[in-house]
Formats: sequence, structure tokens, C-alpha cells
Amino acid sequence: MSPLWRDEVAIYLAPRKVALARRPRGLKARVSAATEVVVAGGGTGDSGPALARLAELLLEPTWADAAAHVVIADPWARYCIVPATAAALDAEGRRAQARYVLEDAYGEGVSGWNVVLEDAPPGRISVACAMAEGLESALIAALKPARLKLVSLQPQLVVAFNAWRRRLPRDDAWFIALEDGWLSAVHLTDGAWDRIHAARLSGEPRVELERLQAFGSLTRAAGSVAQMFVEAPPWMRERAKRTGIGLEWLEADEPGGAQAHELALQMRANA
Amino acid sequence: MKVARSIHLDFAVPVRRSTAAGLLLCLAGIAAATVVGVEFRGALAERARLDGAVEALADQRRAPVETAGRAAAATEFAKMSLELAIPWTKLLTELEAASNDMASQVSLLHVEPDADKHVVRITAEVRSLPDALAYLERLQRSPVLRYPMLESHERRKDDPEHAVRIKIAAEWRS
Repeated sequence: MSPLWRDEVAIYLAPRKVALARRPRGLKARVSAATEVVVAGGGTGDSGPALARLAELLLEPTWADAAAHVVIADPWARYCIVPATAAALDAEGRRAQARYVLEDAYGEGVSGWNVVLEDAPPGRISVACAMAEGLESALIAALKPARLKLVSLQPQLVVAFNAWRRRLPRDDAWFIALEDGWLSAVHLTDGAWDRIHAARLSGEPRVELERLQAFGSLTRAAGSVAQMFVEAPPWMRERAKRTGIGLEWLEADEPGGAQAHELALQMRANA
Repeated sequence: MKVARSIHLDFAVPVRRSTAAGLLLCLAGIAAATVVGVEFRGALAERARLDGAVEALADQRRAPVETAGRAAAATEFAKMSLELAIPWTKLLTELEAASNDMASQVSLLHVEPDADKHVVRITAEVRSLPDALAYLERLQRSPVLRYPMLESHERRKDDPEHAVRIKIAAEWRS
């Protein structure tokens, strides 16, 4: 098969979950196989168990010989807003600036992480993301036996935002992505991110809803009526939305419903 | 309605790159442009070739007519110019005067000018050879003619008076 016309295997990698979906190439997006497994003993501090589980799954021929599009869970990613500079910086200079801002926000723990920066025009703020050190190389090593070529590696918040951005107001709105045990929130001004927050979640939905509402009222500036749009997997959404007040839950018919929610979002983001 | 702009953050593709479909479209565009360019160049060459052929054909049809026509016209014009340059009035007046001076002893038979050589050939009949020489001397004194020479003389045996036919050639002065 031509490398330009290969099947896609979409992979979602989270501390306690691994999901895969195979999408044959064609004009119409569809899913030919999908699976979703729990990672025993997984945690945010160690990606090893999730990668090991992925390697096990990839032993099946179903997933072999394709282009791999990987989404990593936000607990393994860190975001920041890189301010605009008066001086024109080259790509290396902008990356160094992003690394400085990330270390300033998250400490030296992220100093060795891989950093990628949004390609923004000069004079405009941009978004930077750091990914846990060694994750990318370990992932490539896990994909190699199945002849999977890594063509995309994106963090979950970016995938979720791109999937829902057409439903969001351009100004003064919060987009909140909930994952198992993790919350990421970005504030929109003039259609672009200008604030990012992340927090670890407990396992208690009611506590987390109160926390979300408190977060909304605390971050709302005087006179602001910022709406909060929440993206969450169906199981979290169903449990939480009955009691959530002042929150807009983002829902849609899942395309290719057989696949995991996170991979359906990725498919929608790329549509 | 304007929507929030998408975010491109990809660790596998730090810089946005073309998709396969975009690449194919680009290649198709380049191929189409190349085909159009080649076609256009071919059409230009064909047009130049046809222009050349039309020009050559026109030259072929025009050239002989023009050349022959021009040459004939030029010849005709030159001939007419030379003929127009012959001083007929002066010549005839002078020859008539010379005949009168010879008391009608000379009968002028024929005057033939040669415009190319500026020579006039005179054919006349006289009673005797001394009359012929007298006529020649008379012509030699003419301001219109120069170098008159007796080219031939012949006694007419078929004539009862045995007249002498003479031919004199002389140049005329322009």
C-alpha cells in the first residue's frame, strides 16, 4: 500500500486507559476495528504500564502496518501561554522562551520534557506544550514491531478543543476538558487561548462539580459573564450534568461510535 | 460567524506540513500546469510555423510577379527614357537643312536613331560619289552631329540613272 494512502490507527494513551481504533483510508471516515482497555496499576507519574499495555495490544495483526495518530492524556502534558516579544525570535529562540515560561510555571521538573510551540505570527501570544520526557521515544519503540509509523502525537486538550471550537464563543469563554482524574481549562479571548489551568481531580463527581463552579466564579473578572463549556467522556457527563449549574455540557452524536470518546473527538477535530 | 481558531500542537509534526491529499492536489496542480505549459508552447510553435508557412507562400506568390513586373517596367521605363531623350526635332531640322543646302541632289531615304549609342544612321541616294562626299562634309559642319562617317556606298545598277545609295553614321550631340 502506498505510504500516502495507508490506513490510520488512532491511539489514546492515558495513565489508566489505552484505546485503539483502525480507520481504513477512504473519502468517508469509518472505523473498522476498535478496542479500549484498562491499564492495571497505571498512574500519572509513570507512563510505563500504559506503554506496556499498548505494546501487548499491538501484537494483534489488526493494528499492524498503518499510520499512527496518537493522543496522549493531559496528565502527561503541561501547557503555558508564551507572551509575545518585541524582538523577532527564530524557532530556536521561541522554543527557549517557551521552555523558560514552562519552567517558571511548573518548576524544574519539566526541564527535560519535549516542548512544542504553536506556530503563531510575530507579536502574538502563542501556546506551548511540554510532554513527559522519554514518552515519545518509548512510544515509537512500542509502535515499531507493528510497523506503525508515528505521524501525529497530540495532547488531549488540543484534540478536544479543535473538536469543539466551532461550538464555542470567540470571546470570554472557558473551555474545560475533563478526563479521568484530570481537568484542563482554557480561556478564550478573540478566538485564541489566553489562559490555561490544569488540576488533578478526585474520584468524587459532586466535589469536582462544586470545584468547577468555584473555579468559574473565582476566575470570572468583574462584569464578566464568561460561559463555561465542559467536554467530558459520556460516563462522566451523565453522572455530573444533572447537578451542574451554570455549565454548558458539550454533546454530539459520536461519529464512529464504536471507538473511544477521545478518539471520536480526534476524528471530529480532523474532519 | 467567526469561530475560535484551531490550535496546532503536534510533537510528531512540530511544523505544520502538507497532508497527503494536499500533496496530491499540489502534484496534480503542477502536472496540470506543466501540461498546459507544454500545450501552450506547442501551440505557439505551431502558430510560428504556420505564420512562417503563410509568409513563405505569400512570398512565393508575390515575388515572381513583382520581380518580373518590376524588371519589365524598369526596362520599359529605361527604353522610353532613352527614346524620349532623342532630339528628333533638331535632327530632322538639321537633316532637312542639309538636303536643302545640297540643292536637292540628295534624297533622304531612311533615318534610324540608335538611342543606346547616341548614333543616327542615315540612308540616302545621290547622283554621284562627289555629291555623297559633299553631303558628308555638310553634315560634318552640323552643330547637332559629330563624327559623321560614310559607312558604305553602292551604285544602284537596277536604277536607270545609276544613283549611289550611301549610308552615313553620326553621333548626335546631347
